[in-house]
Amino acid sequence: MKTYQKECKLKDGSTVLLRPLVAEDREGLIAFFQSLPENLRLYLRHDVTDVSIIESWTENIDYNRVFPVLALEGGRIVGNASLHRIPFGWKRHIGTVRVAVAPDYLDKGLGTLLVHEIVELAAEFGLEKLWAEFPLDVPAALAVFRKAGFSSKAVIEGLVKDLRGRNTDVVIMVCDIGSQYGF
Amino acid sequence: MRIAFISDIHSNLEALKAVLDELDKEDISLIINLGDLVGYNASPRECVDLVQERQIISILGNHDLAATHLKFAEGFNILAYQALVWSANTLLPEHKRFLENLEDTRVLWDRYLAFHGAPKNPDAYIFYLFQVKKAFNYMRKKTAGVRIGFFGHTHKRAFWQRDVRGKVSSLDIQAEPLLLDPEQMYLINPGSVGQPRGNHWEASYLIFNNAPERVEFRSAAYDLHSAQAKIREAQLPEYLAERLAAGV
Repeated sequence: MKTYQKECKLKDGSTVLLRPLVAEDREGLIAFFQSLPENLRLYLRHDVTDVSIIESWTENIDYNRVFPVLALEGGRIVGNASLHRIPFGWKRHIGTVRVAVAPDYLDKGLGTLLVHEIVELAAEFGLEKLWAEFPLDVPAALAVFRKAGFSSKAVIEGLVKDLRGRNTDVVIMVCDIGSQYGF
Repeated sequence: MRIAFISDIHSNLEALKAVLDELDKEDISLIINLGDLVGYNASPRECVDLVQERQIISILGNHDLAATHLKFAEGFNILAYQALVWSANTLLPEHKRFLENLEDTRVLWDRYLAFHGAPKNPDAYIFYLFQVKKAFNYMRKKTAGVRIGFFGHTHKRAFWQRDVRGKVSSLDIQAEPLLLDPEQMYLINPGSVGQPRGNHWEASYLIFNNAPERVEFRSAAYDLHSAQAKIREAQLPEYLAERLAAGV
């Protein structure tokens, strides 16, 4: 694992290391998700404050199903993006992207960097489409995904509920990897 | 004269040897490697040595450049990057000297153009009509007299034609030899030796006959398990071994 990482520069000139999640990241990942304020956890799919959920991720790593990429600064996890794949069926050519960035790393281009990395990995895996969905009222996320080659495909009004039970609109964005890389 | 075009060997010694074994059974005057000799797989030194030993004419690929100057690897995803760092650490100085002295584009006998991704740009792709037209335009404007361009990079076979009216079309790739029209222009990709991505695992290559002009798309079975075992032994990402079997 020593060289299984890549150093990348952020907008402010600082650097982060990108590498896949490994089992030894349990503590760091727990600390990362517990550091996210509630407003950033509102729309996550899992209760990331539950240690057993994080443990289930670090103990059951299967890169063929979920390829998680961490961004680290000085050993601290500051960002997490994952590429989710379904090996069989009608969605086998589609990957789904999820991304979370530490509050002190917002506006540094880390989200864009992570989503770009997922797009490149999706191409490497031979996926044809990437799918992302998130609340419409997060313009920063829209900008991040647009920069990485995604375009908005649908807005579904009031579809989901946040952790406080409020209905909110969801935007679905798709990146056509096939048209970029010729699949 | 019969010329073999190979591309995207990517440090897969087993695949390269299998192709060379097949070519040794043929009356081949020259072998041309269209770039990306290293990266991804686990035998970079051996592949560079073998290409030099066999006097194979080689073109610079983006992985060749990145393995010799890691600053060019920063845009690669972490799987490809890992393999490039490993290659850079594995290659000896003489291997790197060989790679960094390769040309990115080469005109052969004033008639044929060999390049990796696109003319003068090993990073660019030729997948789509507009990219194909751009490459044909380059050939018409910058390399007068050149009618046929051979390229790699995509790891997929391709066979494009430009007729005298300027109409560009993709031609079917067939197992039998395909005769070229001397009035038309062509862009041809032999596919990849070391990491084919056309959902088939066998090493792809091409034989070109210059009189009359004719191409044959070929493939060679190789010791896949040995290539995969080397990737695992080198502790390169597991996916790089798995993808060889799937041809992706």
